[in-house]
Amino acid sequence: MSIFESYVSEPSFDEVFDRDKNVRSFWKDIISDIEDAGLDVLKAKQADIDWHLEDNGVTFNVYDTHEKSAQRFWSMDPIPFVITQEEWAQITKGLEQRATLLNLIFKDLYGEKKLLKENIIPAEVVYGHKGYAPEVFDFGYKERFNLYFYATDMARGPDGKMWVINDRTQAPSGLGYAIENRLTMNSIAKELYPNIATKKLYTFIEEYKSLLLKLTDGDLSKAAILTPGPHNETYFEHAYLSSFLGIDLVQGDDLLSKNGSLWLKSLSGLKQINTLLRRVDDRYCDPLELNEESRLGVAGLVESMREDNLTLINPIGSAILENVGLIPFMEKICEYFLGEKLLLSQIATWWCGQKKELDFVLENFDHLIIKKIDRTESIQVYFVNQISQEAKERLKELLVQNPHQYIAQEEVAFSTIPYYAGEKVEPRNAVVRTFCLKNESGYSVMNGGLVRVSAQKDSLLVSSQKGGKSKDLWILGGSEDEIPLANFFKYTQYLETSIDKISTPKAENLFWLGRYLARCITTTRLIMHVIKKITNFYRYEVVTSKESQIILQNALTHMTMTYPGFLDQNNQKNLEIFPMHEIISVIKDSNRVGSLSFTISMLSNANMNLKDLLAFESSKLFDKMLHEWNEFINKNNDSTLSVADHLDDLLIYMMAYKELVKESMFKEQGLIIYEIGYKIEVALLLISKARSMLCVKLDRFIGHDVLEGMLNSVESFNAYRAIYRSSLTLENVVDFLILNPQFPKSLLQITTQLLKEFKLLPKAKTYLTSYEEPIQKAQKLLENIRLLDLMQTQENEGIYMKLDELLVTLSGLYMECSNEFSNTYFSHYDE
Amino acid sequence: MIYNIYHKTTFHYQSMVSYSHNIARLKPIESEHQKLLSYSMSVVPCEYESHQFFDIFGNNNTHLVIREPHQELSVIGESKVEILEEKIQEKIDIFRSKTVLYGDTLERLSKFHIDDIEAKQFLFESKLIPTKSQKIKEYALESFSKERSLFEATEEFMGRIFRDFEFVSGFSDITTPVENIFEAKKGVCQDFAQFAISALRSIGLSAKYMSGYIETLPPDGKEKLFGADASHAWFAVYIPDIGWAEFDPTNNMIPQEQHILLGSGRDYYDISPLKGVVRSSGGSHLGVMVDVRRDVQRVMTQTQNQFQSQF
Repeated sequence: MSIFESYVSEPSFDEVFDRDKNVRSFWKDIISDIEDAGLDVLKAKQADIDWHLEDNGVTFNVYDTHEKSAQRFWSMDPIPFVITQEEWAQITKGLEQRATLLNLIFKDLYGEKKLLKENIIPAEVVYGHKGYAPEVFDFGYKERFNLYFYATDMARGPDGKMWVINDRTQAPSGLGYAIENRLTMNSIAKELYPNIATKKLYTFIEEYKSLLLKLTDGDLSKAAILTPGPHNETYFEHAYLSSFLGIDLVQGDDLLSKNGSLWLKSLSGLKQINTLLRRVDDRYCDPLELNEESRLGVAGLVESMREDNLTLINPIGSAILENVGLIPFMEKICEYFLGEKLLLSQIATWWCGQKKELDFVLENFDHLIIKKIDRTESIQVYFVNQISQEAKERLKELLVQNPHQYIAQEEVAFSTIPYYAGEKVEPRNAVVRTFCLKNESGYSVMNGGLVRVSAQKDSLLVSSQKGGKSKDLWILGGSEDEIPLANFFKYTQYLETSIDKISTPKAENLFWLGRYLARCITTTRLIMHVIKKITNFYRYEVVTSKESQIILQNALTHMTMTYPGFLDQNNQKNLEIFPMHEIISVIKDSNRVGSLSFTISMLSNANMNLKDLLAFESSKLFDKMLHEWNEFINKNNDSTLSVADHLDDLLIYMMAYKELVKESMFKEQGLIIYEIGYKIEVALLLISKARSMLCVKLDRFIGHDVLEGMLNSVESFNAYRAIYRSSLTLENVVDFLILNPQFPKSLLQITTQLLKEFKLLPKAKTYLTSYEEPIQKAQKLLENIRLLDLMQTQENEGIYMKLDELLVTLSGLYMECSNEFSNTYFSHYDE
Repeated sequence: MIYNIYHKTTFHYQSMVSYSHNIARLKPIESEHQKLLSYSMSVVPCEYESHQFFDIFGNNNTHLVIREPHQELSVIGESKVEILEEKIQEKIDIFRSKTVLYGDTLERLSKFHIDDIEAKQFLFESKLIPTKSQKIKEYALESFSKERSLFEATEEFMGRIFRDFEFVSGFSDITTPVENIFEAKKGVCQDFAQFAISALRSIGLSAKYMSGYIETLPPDGKEKLFGADASHAWFAVYIPDIGWAEFDPTNNMIPQEQHILLGSGRDYYDISPLKGVVRSSGGSHLGVMVDVRRDVQRVMTQTQNQFQSQF
């Protein structure tokens, strides 16, 4: 049976079949390829596509709540959207004209305002739209204030021609997905559509690169992509574009402004940026002059534009061009600027701010779609024939009250195209997004695009937010000079991670990733040991003594700084009977600073911010761990053993994660920063535990328990046995964990390693830097002290004073190092 | 009349700030009604860089970058402004003698007229005056009928705000919604100005926010204390073919020689004296000190000159 037998042509125009159900000539080869292949092959190809896209990590994020964003995989249909070479030539002309026109409007509205002064556009259409940015009111005179990159959403109207639906001008998305779709399509096309020649995309990307080269005077390191960050719905694309355009991917925090210019903060210092390809909306680019609530932009960005030190693709203010209120005036504007007719059809649109138009709209209300011109905050579209009488009256009232804020559009039945929906092929509406780029003489149009398919039949509402179904756009006909696309777009994750160039916020996140990961692991270990002691997990004949139990518990409170915790004098009785209550709180209460959950959430932030730098598996693993962890902490009344089990699992995940982090980067890259953070944290926690557990004088039995706990919490019990072979003594443990020059986990070793690693940093000097100095002091102290002196004690003292003093001093030195390190590398005070 | 104005704005931060970007708007504009005779600005701690520019409303803006650790930032603007009373009087006379009806204004604004283009920026909702409330609209319409002179109606409207609203400081801040001010019928000059603007926009008029100073006089026989003034705000409404007519609802008066204009915008946000972005934990609070006094020295010299010339 033919695949297309059950395909019911809609009353509207169909891309493939004409009114008499005959396949249009230019579709014949493709349709017969599909028929030949059959549904099973189609299904297999769909699976191939899904695998390719998933394997390349093609995702888009869906905003569920403001906190969490869920990732979904992108999906593409094996059946392309096809346009003939002849028709495409016409469309290209139309797009070039529209791009030119929009740029003229753009420069005029932020310049002479002739369009307003000569009554081509009513002032209300501009001033009543929040996309108009008064902050850049006179920037239109600047040479580099242009609409550089422009996307147009189009669909085929009932007359069989492609109509313009929307103009996207601020920070158009989709280019990366279009390229990825093409690469994926290539992988199945060889078998499925062996004889179809299509136009290639690479010239467009070449042109994009030349544009960037021109704007940066040949130095691409002066260009960057500004992304809102990994939570953004199209973050995949930002990383993707940065990769094949070969420019840095940055967030607002990576940049600072001074001397009327923008600078990229990196570990070795500041580097000037003069071109930003931004994926942050207009109002969010600068908290000083635009939306003050924004945390995505850079204070001083508008000032850099004002001083002619920054080119934006596209400039602030371009949101005004997305104004649907301009549509009714486009014909007039085209006549005014170019003396031509508009080449591309638009949907018939009426602006209600004029009396005649408003009257017409009110008379024909039921057949129209009403839209608010200002869509900067929320999109408001009313299909009048689908709303209640009451809602209709309310809408009419709104229109009469604020007529200049509304337009009405004719409802148009756009074309349908076959879509492989699992078991069968059915008709769907589709919107084609095309891309234009400014060149020396005008605009270039990409020979392809992104096609988004409606989620249901009969719906033109296509949005990635609602579900990312897409198609590749094929322009038939070969290219003159064939360059294999796959080689051209070799997708390599491009991220600047060499130690000199890594961006400061990334470096800071790496530092904290190290610190939080060390804190998570150490805390988990200590908690596990405390729990095992409480439950007599080790099945010793002598039940753990109360004293040693208390010392371990207090050590936990000190180390996690979850005061008052076990030290709470007013709660001693409770703590004694139900120690697990406090322990569960230290594990699960994420609002409690220092709790394991709290630390994990901090670690999770650092992990999220470093997602693009770490191995793909590491984020998968982390997500899995987090998922299980969240399930665990939201559950009540676990048995003590099940808590221990969960902590065990957590520990395994974290050790695996730790290894993956190390695999993701070379030491000479950013990894060294992570290592330094990790070591500083380990040292600080070791000192804290030693103060709680090794400085108190205890009798033999209790002491044994405590020493065992100390060794277990650093996973060093076996190593200790291997070296000392004797029973546990305090002196040996101190020697082992603090002073041993060989054991890698001893404080002295960590200190020595840190000093070596510091020398690999970009700001290392021949002399001691401010962060090296305290660690050098620590090393001297540790090397020169004798164990015997350290353990000297007076009869009447309850603690080993000398040891405690040493540990306090060391703790201070490590804190000082951490602060100085942050100041030196993360603050850029003095540059 | 010549005034010496001292305007100090201070940010106090909860924790140390090492880098900040700020925009100061402390330099009064020049217009047909006032001349700026001198102006100086001082910044503590000293700015790393500064740059001046005009915004779309013609206000003077200074972009300041501070790059040293500080917990307090002060920006002081000192200006000497001459108010051209006669010019203002002339303008007011025109407003009073040439009647433009409210109805005609609406008709005119609904169509294209080259002179109205800039004024149309002030027709719409703005950041701090976002929505149009039906109740406020009804309140405004009590003074406005189509056959009435726009100037006269606005003057009456100003009087009603003055009578119906109580001047209470501490009740509101600049982010208090206009609806709340209207409900409570109390606030300070900024609130009254923004309320009036909201009301006028809701009935289809162009209205703008005027920010500046007003001369205050101490009680009889008392010396005026330095810094006892405050910044002041009022509003202006656009009257086609004549221009912007100013009204001060806080004092129920049409600004003349006692009002000194700093700048104007769609609402307070467009002309706030100092705004900044810092990287710091914790909040900040704003301190303001203003002193406005007549330039006595200048007046005395003038008298001396007159005296001398009589000889």
